[in-house]
Amino acid sequence: MSVWAWLRNPEGAARFKSGEVDRVLAATIIGLIGFGSVMVYSASTIEATVRFKDPEFYLKRQLVFAGLALLVMWGVSKIDYHRLRALTYPILGTVTVLLAATVIGLGQRRGGAARWITVGPILVQPAEMVKLALVLWLSYSLAKKAEGIKTFKIGLIPHLLMAGFFIVLCLRQPDFGSAVVLAFITFTMLFVAGARISYLLGVGVLAGIVGVNVVMSQSYRVARLMAFLDLAGHRQDIAYQPFQSVMSFGSGGLAGLGLGRGLQVLYLPEAHNDFIAAIIGEEMGFVGVILLAGAYLLVVSRGVRVALRARDDYGSYIAFGISTLMGVQALVNLSVAMAILPTKGLTLPFISYGGSSLLVNAAAAGVLLNISRERTEQASAPTMVPLSVDSPEASVAVMTAAEEGSG
Amino acid sequence: MRNLDPRRARWIRVRMGILCGLLGIGLGAVVSAAFGIQVERGDEWRELAEKQRQRRLHVAPKRGTVYDRNGTPLAVSVEVPSVSVDAVEMFRGVDDRRLPAMLDEASQRIGQALNIEAAQVRDKLARRRRFTWLKRRVTAAEVSAVRSLSDPRQPRPLFGMQIEGEGRRYFPNRALAGPMLGFVSPDGEGKDGLELQLNDELRGHIEEVRGLRDRSGRLFFSEGIQDEQALAGHNVYLSIDQGIQYVAEQELEAAMRTYEAASGSIVVVDPNTGELLALASMPAFNPNDIERSDLAARRNRAITDQFEPGSTIKVFTMAAALAAHVTSPTQNIYCEEGTMAIDNVVIHDTHVSGWLTPTQVLAISSNIGAAKLGLGVGEQRLYETFQRFGFGERTNLPLPGEVAGVLRPRGRPWVQVETAAASFGQGISVSTLQLAMAISAIANRGRLLVPVLVRKITDGMGNTVNENPATVRREAVSPNVAQMVSEMLVAVTEGEGTGVEAAVPGFRTAGKTATAQKIDPATGKYTADRFTASFIGFVPAENPRVAIAVVLDEPGITHAGGSVAAPVFRRVAEMSLRYMGVTPKGSTPAPIASVGKEQDPARQAYDLFKSQSHPEAAIRPANSAAAPPTTASKQVTDVSGLPAGQALRALLQQGFIPQINGSGRVVRQQPVGGALAEPGATVQLFLESGS
Repeated sequence: MSVWAWLRNPEGAARFKSGEVDRVLAATIIGLIGFGSVMVYSASTIEATVRFKDPEFYLKRQLVFAGLALLVMWGVSKIDYHRLRALTYPILGTVTVLLAATVIGLGQRRGGAARWITVGPILVQPAEMVKLALVLWLSYSLAKKAEGIKTFKIGLIPHLLMAGFFIVLCLRQPDFGSAVVLAFITFTMLFVAGARISYLLGVGVLAGIVGVNVVMSQSYRVARLMAFLDLAGHRQDIAYQPFQSVMSFGSGGLAGLGLGRGLQVLYLPEAHNDFIAAIIGEEMGFVGVILLAGAYLLVVSRGVRVALRARDDYGSYIAFGISTLMGVQALVNLSVAMAILPTKGLTLPFISYGGSSLLVNAAAAGVLLNISRERTEQASAPTMVPLSVDSPEASVAVMTAAEEGSG
Repeated sequence: MRNLDPRRARWIRVRMGILCGLLGIGLGAVVSAAFGIQVERGDEWRELAEKQRQRRLHVAPKRGTVYDRNGTPLAVSVEVPSVSVDAVEMFRGVDDRRLPAMLDEASQRIGQALNIEAAQVRDKLARRRRFTWLKRRVTAAEVSAVRSLSDPRQPRPLFGMQIEGEGRRYFPNRALAGPMLGFVSPDGEGKDGLELQLNDELRGHIEEVRGLRDRSGRLFFSEGIQDEQALAGHNVYLSIDQGIQYVAEQELEAAMRTYEAASGSIVVVDPNTGELLALASMPAFNPNDIERSDLAARRNRAITDQFEPGSTIKVFTMAAALAAHVTSPTQNIYCEEGTMAIDNVVIHDTHVSGWLTPTQVLAISSNIGAAKLGLGVGEQRLYETFQRFGFGERTNLPLPGEVAGVLRPRGRPWVQVETAAASFGQGISVSTLQLAMAISAIANRGRLLVPVLVRKITDGMGNTVNENPATVRREAVSPNVAQMVSEMLVAVTEGEGTGVEAAVPGFRTAGKTATAQKIDPATGKYTADRFTASFIGFVPAENPRVAIAVVLDEPGITHAGGSVAAPVFRRVAEMSLRYMGVTPKGSTPAPIASVGKEQDPARQAYDLFKSQSHPEAAIRPANSAAAPPTTASKQVTDVSGLPAGQALRALLQQGFIPQINGSGRVVRQQPVGGALAEPGATVQLFLESGS
């Protein structure tokens, strides 16, 4: 039995027949990736021309990543997610090694943070992988422990230790944004799995105190925070980015300046990367931001729908974890771009330029799509009644169609 | 979750629902923030963003070129690179503790690249301005040094430095026509002369090119710069002839040095068109090197200086008299044997005469004759004729600082004495340009022309935007009168005339000399030793091609217009005619190289002194106690041991006529020092070289 067959057909091959993936979810994600390439092009042309004398420099790479991402998504969606159980620890181990390598100084430094590491010819960002790996591990562990989750010793401590380990590694890079996302995911999944609210609250307060101390202990974070509180006063120095980003959003107005007509790219460093939302806001206006938010709402709600309809709790946890992971990253990225939150360095899933983020998110989407496959028991009568589709989701589907029509 | 107990599965779903609600709240917050930023305050932000990126782009168009009448450039603009810095950009994100070290390092490196003091660079950087010039007009080597400093591939590149091309004005002929052309400040604004007056035309349209500027100060153009030719400054074509201008300046400078004059000016006009062929002013300056020129040298004296013209005005007095039929060419005038009293003053003539023809009045420059003519014409008519010849009004050349001259200094009609004085050029003031235009009117059959300096102005595409054809200002006198006057003026340069030095070989030359006393500003009286020597005239008399006015201010060695200004006129006229291809009738022109060559200076001085006539104050108080110098004997100064120049001056001042034998210093003189001799007597000087 080949590996691929093993991956595709678990022991239950005889019992189950896989159905179709959630087409709305797949279409939305593919749409987002395509839209992302367009926006990367629009946001990067000037910088690419100036730095590399090639206006399509970033576009070419993003298109390659997008193609790979679609392949990965398609491939992963074929892997029965139950097989991931067996892969949980290998994945976790690989990611830990990579992350640790960046922390101990093997990584590439950019802008004061060592977040990247070269694996062969490519530059990867282990923090992106850690998020997915942690979701997979938590789902595995929570599903295994079942009712044991309610206890302190079995249910809480191991998960907090594992998550804490990764959070500390992320903070060492430093990558505050990823650390916050990891913490958020951990709490979300513990909460969903049924950990005691009192424990979670206690740990939450504790984590809050530690977090404040971490922030206060690092001068650049304090400075960033102060700058965030007084944007206009620091518009020339440390709050330059958020200020320019808000300016960019604002100049878009209701309908935007038009695709490719945004000029804030001249002022926004990382315009094609972490601050790509600002360019979307400028070029497509409030309408574009609404459509973008609608697309993420659709992704998350379809993902949650998958979680609700999953055959088992393992699949449900994975689906919910991945959905909230995407949702939270999108929310934080948009909030940072609008200066609701201080600068973090999180990408906008599927849209921002960058291979690691895109491929990891595509893999996550692939897992989600696999869970979304309806599984009918071959042995028993194939009269599974599908769960009813909620009506709000249907209306979101209409919005997505409208967005794709406009994009 | 069919593997779970339904109760637990339901709880999980409920908890998922709660979290989804939280995410929903987050989404709501983001969307409402977007609404606030984009819809409610969108316009403010857009304005701010536009202000930030739009730059009033100083794409200064190339300044227009100034050409002479033959298309030789007199002033051109060349692009020279300059280096500026955006100090905010250079140290963006550097925290305050590290700043001093960074400043030191950056200024060290920049100073090295640009060959300037590091401390000076540090001062500029420390101010952290968005724009500061680091060094203007840098060399190619410095440009490449700056480029490699800002190369992002280098370790620790320095950002925020800009290399911009700056237009620099260059005057290829250096001092030629400097006072007329003026100069241009480093920021491209004309500051004096033609450059100032035609600044708007030359500078071109600084159309605001819509430029975008990114965070590091790089410029981008969405539409591309418009056709540079269309933006470029206009080209100015002057009527000046570079060759004639050169000759005029050379001759003027030579004369100033020979006669130790304080300043001088020459205007050469084509009397048929009014076009100025040369407008020379001395001392001159080199507009390429404006810092080292002194203020006095920047004046364009041909138009900014007014002076009492003296005898040259008699030309126009005569024209007025002929026009008013006060006299005719055949009617003799009694010149009172050299002195004539009017009211309480006495008018003197240098050449004592009895009856003179009008021609002779001009030829030997009789003040009494001129005064009689002027009085005959009458105050009103004389004043009006002078006005008709353009005196007392500006010509409105496109040059700054032109003076109008003054005909009625007291603002009221002249009294009798003043009319008489005005008739021979005292009590009124004129400019060299006015004299040149007025004599051109005589040459041009009585029609006064508008002087033309700028023949045409073309835009960058070659389209003519402004053209100045010959324009008659008015008919000053009838052609008939002008014809008579110009015939009389030929006599001035012939035979007994005061202006024989002005006669251009091979041509009949019309002209008039003047040796005008200057008023001492301290006493308000005419001085005995400060003069304005001048000559105005045109040639050939029968078909004038050039009219020239030569004015020398305060010549030191000798001062008669006939000796000082007339030779300058001759040489300039001769050269101009040659440039214009005018040959004497029935003769072949001499090779150009032989023209205008300096003669033997000793010989020249000798000739000069021989022709020198003793000048004296034309008007002196009638009951002046001072005895006329013609009667008293004087002690001859001992000049032995002095060099020729000083000896000559000393003797001339006493009224003796020195004659030089040999060269070097005076070793012997005859009569000897201390001996009594009558002024006008010849003193023989014997010189030997010092070796």
